[in-house]
Amino acid sequence: MATATETKKKTVRINGCVAAAQAAKYADVDVITAYPIRPYTATMMALAQMVANGELDAEYIVADSEHSQLSIAHGASSSGARVFTGSSGVGVQFAYELYSPISGSRMPVQMMIADRTLDPPGDFGSEHTDALSTRDMGWLMGWSCDAQEAFDNHLMAFRIGEDPRVLLPQMVCQDGFFVSHITTDVELPDPGQVKEFLPPYKHPYPLDPRHPVSHGPQIMPEQGPPLQLERARAMEGSMPVIEEIHDQFARIFGRRYDAWLEEYKTDDAEIVFFLQGGHAVTARFAINHMREQGVKVGMVRLRTIRPYPSDRVCETLSRYKVVGVIETNMGLGSVSSGGSLYAEVCGALYESNKRPLVMSFMAGMGGEAIVLKEFYWMAQKMTDAQKRGKIEKRTHWVGFEE
Amino acid sequence: MPAIEVQRQVLPILDNPNQGARFYNPDLPASEPFVPGHRTCAGCGPSIQYRMTSKASGDNTILVGPTGCMYVANSSYLCTPYNVPWAHTQIGSSGSFTAGVAAAYEAMIRKGKWKGAFPNIICEAGDGSSSDIGLASISGALYRNHDCLIICYDNEQYANTGIQASSRTPYGGMTTFSPPGPKIPEAKKLFPKDLARMMAAGHPHCYVATASVGYPIDLMNKVRKGLNHNGAAFLMVYTPCQKGFVYETPRSIDLGRLVVECGLYPVWEWNPEKHEYDYSFRPQNMRPVSEYLKLQGRFGHLHAEHIATLQQFANRQWEMMGVKLPEALIKAADARNQVNMAAAAEAEAVAHTL
Repeated sequence: MATATETKKKTVRINGCVAAAQAAKYADVDVITAYPIRPYTATMMALAQMVANGELDAEYIVADSEHSQLSIAHGASSSGARVFTGSSGVGVQFAYELYSPISGSRMPVQMMIADRTLDPPGDFGSEHTDALSTRDMGWLMGWSCDAQEAFDNHLMAFRIGEDPRVLLPQMVCQDGFFVSHITTDVELPDPGQVKEFLPPYKHPYPLDPRHPVSHGPQIMPEQGPPLQLERARAMEGSMPVIEEIHDQFARIFGRRYDAWLEEYKTDDAEIVFFLQGGHAVTARFAINHMREQGVKVGMVRLRTIRPYPSDRVCETLSRYKVVGVIETNMGLGSVSSGGSLYAEVCGALYESNKRPLVMSFMAGMGGEAIVLKEFYWMAQKMTDAQKRGKIEKRTHWVGFEE
Repeated sequence: MPAIEVQRQVLPILDNPNQGARFYNPDLPASEPFVPGHRTCAGCGPSIQYRMTSKASGDNTILVGPTGCMYVANSSYLCTPYNVPWAHTQIGSSGSFTAGVAAAYEAMIRKGKWKGAFPNIICEAGDGSSSDIGLASISGALYRNHDCLIICYDNEQYANTGIQASSRTPYGGMTTFSPPGPKIPEAKKLFPKDLARMMAAGHPHCYVATASVGYPIDLMNKVRKGLNHNGAAFLMVYTPCQKGFVYETPRSIDLGRLVVECGLYPVWEWNPEKHEYDYSFRPQNMRPVSEYLKLQGRFGHLHAEHIATLQQFANRQWEMMGVKLPEALIKAADARNQVNMAAAAEAEAVAHTL
């Protein structure tokens, strides 16, 4: 079997969008629903071509809006079909109404997000605010940092979300352009491996005329708490399943990811960057260069933000002296007056008896690349804080300060 | 794996479509996909429609219920009246959720993941969902021609939220968002959106029809024609709301006939094969609009000129249907031949029920 598997594996050079489309194809999705908005569109373009070529047998529906896209996905998933959809930027927001109903009815819809800055100012670049603004709607959510990881995360998200112990929708996010439009080598698996990893989707209570059920009836206020508790438990209960499925993935595909955090050169680190997504690639180079100068710097990359691994974040970040949160999102008027990731980090660290200093960097806003010298600048601010024993201020806008 | 051909259901058309046999037809199926025990108001037009519609469709049916009366008043958690699968969806998702269900069954049957004949997929959307917030989603479903039937149960207002004006609220209709007052004596100033015609004109490949609960067999046949049509269908059904229209409860079916007899709700079909309207449906009588208006508290504030305006509107509908106007209706379109509602003896009777 091992030999047969080897023969059908292939390495191709594709971008993050196409990697996501490939994952949907390998998952043999039944219903795809698209609406155009850059940059995620390239995923749907790739899938449209696969359907046109007969490589994938799926209903391909061009919706009339993102709201309709998510409603179509909801209806199709409720009927027992495996569903794939996606969006970017304001498109993610246009569909906002559907996020809670989909997770509340426990439909494992999968949504690909290639981040885009919200309007204003009509910017194509990547900012995580689009997806992050939906983070408390009951969807599993995490960021990939390159095309291979995007492919892998999409496959794993199907497996996790459709697990009868979980049954939750998934947002599989990647930075617009930095990941979605940069081609890298991606290993595509043997279909047999995917078959072994991902069983067919089988919802326990689909809309089937042979077994009538009612989905989503009205409740009285006193019926609300137990239903909300169930959804909260589903989210919390997904954590061991997520770890189990990452192990299974490693066993079948040979690529091992920590379900929650990627740690880069953190063994002896005193200061660490904490971030999500594609900027991690630049961060690794910056860390390598700074390490040559003797700076004890590392990176902790959050791979899954929902469910949020509070204990892991607390335990891991407590090992360092200073944590620099690189936001890439807008949390206007929030705890740090900068981004929303800061509050997630500080919330997790509150229980620690060895709290590091935490500072928040507004970098990569509007989809600007975070360049090496900006990482050096941030590291300098963190080193200064370490020496001083306290932070100068919570939030720094990178590029606007000395 | 080769694709499996999708088998579609064909439902028989009942005899005696529009006249006579108002409440009984021996060919009606015994099955009741919509059972009693829900919380709709006595005399609720939409729920009468719901029962007829689901009866016509039968047990191999999936119902979609966007937010509205037929969601809120019907579906209490742990006690829903649906004997077939039913799902709530958002008020703006009527067409899109339904499209998702239809697409899922197309794919699942074709790929061998579900075995059986393609189910009847029916969306029961209120007029607010159909003509306002879900209009684009329904247009999308019709345009893409999913094999489903989208029904607008038209009670001419947002009733579930407490009687607010929709794009289907008639001229002169009082709602809590369109109350009459010294500055705006007629209450609702706008004429209703011609929803069914928009759907027919914009999606000519679809079966589109209007109907009324006053003509049950005609309604049920249109449901079956819509379901038999291989593709999308849209049906707009007059369903009076006792709470919002303010009338005597047992008169729901009477209103369903009067609204057609007064020319305010033309009953027609769009034939997608011939690409033409069928205006052959004729009520037994023709009446002036005042006979319909005077039974309802929501029109109790109308002045003579407003009634005449509504008669002019009705007369245009008759002419559109190819009916030659009788002298009495031409005269009734002149405000000098009308009296204010408040002055009419019949309006007083209605006022007592308020």
